[in-house]
Amino acid sequence: MHHKVVVVGGNRIPFAKAGGPYAQASNHDMLTAALDGLVARTGLSGARVGEVAGGAVLKHPNDFNLTREAVLSSALAPETPACDLQQACATGLETTMYIANKIALGQLDHGIAAGVDSASDAPIAVSDPLRRILLEASRARSAKQRLAAFAKIRPSHLAPLAPRVAEPRTGLSMGEHQAVTTTRWGIDREAQDLLAAASHHRLAEAWDRGFFDDLVTPYLGVTKDALLRPDTSVEKLGGLKPAFGGPDGSMTAGNSTALSDGAAAVLLATEEWAAEHHLTPWARIVDAEVAAVDHPGGADLLLAPVGATGRLLARQGLTVDDIDLFEIHEAFASTVLATLAAWQDEDYCRSLGLDGPIGSLDREKLNVAGSSLAVGHPFAATGARIVPSLAKLLHERGPGSRGLISVCAAGGQGVVALLEAV
Amino acid sequence: MPHDVELLDGLPAMGAAFARALVPSRQGEARIPSHAVRVEGVTQDLARLAAYSRVCGYTLRDTVPATWIHVLTFPLHVSLLGDRRSSVRLVGAVHGSNSMTMHRAVHAAEELALEVRAEGLRPHARGAMLDLVGTASVDGETVWSGVSTYLVSGMRVPGEPAEQVRDPFEPTAPLALWRLGADLGRRYRAVSQDPNPIHTNRVAAKAFGFARPIIHGMWTHARALAALEGRVPAAHTADVSFVKPVLLPATVGFSVTPDEDGFRAAVTTRDGAKPHLLMSARSAS
Repeated sequence: MHHKVVVVGGNRIPFAKAGGPYAQASNHDMLTAALDGLVARTGLSGARVGEVAGGAVLKHPNDFNLTREAVLSSALAPETPACDLQQACATGLETTMYIANKIALGQLDHGIAAGVDSASDAPIAVSDPLRRILLEASRARSAKQRLAAFAKIRPSHLAPLAPRVAEPRTGLSMGEHQAVTTTRWGIDREAQDLLAAASHHRLAEAWDRGFFDDLVTPYLGVTKDALLRPDTSVEKLGGLKPAFGGPDGSMTAGNSTALSDGAAAVLLATEEWAAEHHLTPWARIVDAEVAAVDHPGGADLLLAPVGATGRLLARQGLTVDDIDLFEIHEAFASTVLATLAAWQDEDYCRSLGLDGPIGSLDREKLNVAGSSLAVGHPFAATGARIVPSLAKLLHERGPGSRGLISVCAAGGQGVVALLEAV
Repeated sequence: MPHDVELLDGLPAMGAAFARALVPSRQGEARIPSHAVRVEGVTQDLARLAAYSRVCGYTLRDTVPATWIHVLTFPLHVSLLGDRRSSVRLVGAVHGSNSMTMHRAVHAAEELALEVRAEGLRPHARGAMLDLVGTASVDGETVWSGVSTYLVSGMRVPGEPAEQVRDPFEPTAPLALWRLGADLGRRYRAVSQDPNPIHTNRVAAKAFGFARPIIHGMWTHARALAALEGRVPAAHTADVSFVKPVLLPATVGFSVTPDEDGFRAAVTTRDGAKPHLLMSARSAS
């Protein structure tokens, strides 16, 4: 009953800064574009796909069936079922695991996992008191009751509320949380800027060698990730002012991800289905784990993947040395650096219930084709961006190569996954 | 080229041209211009395309809907029927049917040459009929063509009117209901730049015999084609008959059935008894 699940293709639109070239596009538009590109590349036009799982973090109330609606607008058969999932910034990895698990269990022989987010077309809500008054007015049975409800409206209720990327329990934005972590783990400015510059340089190299030719389809005139700055440097990044952590903070707009727009999709299947459809399997999905930390109790908001990584490696009988490539999502440069520091910290790892430190990795194996600092981070799309990219990188290295994905998420959560080239 | 072509510097501004096109003609004899109007180097405004897509129900894609290119050619319709060589005015001309073909997918970034001519002036039992024939081309390749057929009541054309064939219609239970708000005429005006007040103003609508503003026929056409997105191929033809205007606000029905070479669709009253618009869409390749 346990089937091997392989990654056979992926597609995304180039990512771009919020308010940029995709300012007019909705989640629906971008997700449809990502799906249609994948359909065109894999010859699935008109096909009834087993299931499509997608999602978005910033979602309009009428987008409750966002993915199903995108499927209906796409070139897939209208009989293709779809569902929406949400696991904050790890959504695209969670949808991958949802489809992969169904394939492993024999419930599907192929499916598409996806994610999309638009920080440009974000929903704006009315204030909670106004919302309650409007609901009361809609329940009113007479004009008098309705008027009585409307009479409660105060000017202060009328200010619209834009979504904040803030933790409901702490009131701190993600950057403010990460600033605490940055200080706690002693991550310095230069290390962050070095990591950010490397991300841009590696992404630029990957574009130059044509790595994304079968992973990205242009959209609305954008042919390449619009945030990419190939000519950035540690010196240039060093000139930026702190964005988080106060005037002495080390986190800047250059070593933090920008609010972005984009969509990504990945095609997963059994080996048999891939062979029948003449698609080359890149890598198989070996294992995954989701984890959480007690961030309202003071734990580092974005370090939840550390515990999951230790447990997953132990379960698979592997160590860091057995992994050929690492994809650690660059929410902030300091998130990656704090994660690496935590992996090597015996006390911290033991506090998570691990047997000892996870270990240290060779930085040449980390985010070798760039990551979110250079590509951008449309929240729910990031996991579905990383999976096909890593699968292809592993395939290039040859069968048996292993890759680990670590994605942190809001709510003190995170998802890690292990892939192996076939 | 069989006709003269007047090359315009750019798409005419709609205000003045439309004002002329709105002045009713006192002449009884129908005359149409023999020249075509043409504009080259037309770039497509992505923000307007996005707004148009939202109003009509299209997904914003790299490739544009056929009805969008019609909208781009509309200022040329106004220019031709506002020309002093035309006794036919846009005002009072009723858009009765439309046929358009997308010869290949057209990218939103492509620069278009648009051309429209008036053709086929012919007698009709209630006046005169004519076609406005448009093309869009990219580097000399015709990528889109459209024929808009107008009926001009009370004008004369020599000859006997041909028999009118009505599109068949069977009352059917609608598959979908569309709720058209009172502001839809305004919203579509903003994206189509068709300033005809019959779509937005109650007094203007009454002057033409409608109790309330009517939605643009081309919105209804676009909305019906949007309902088939992903199902009609990139190269396709859509034929539409505008049977009866939709007064705003309204709830209308929509039904679609596959036929041997594509789809037949109808926008109807909400009970499906009477048609507002009939459409057939099929592959053009």
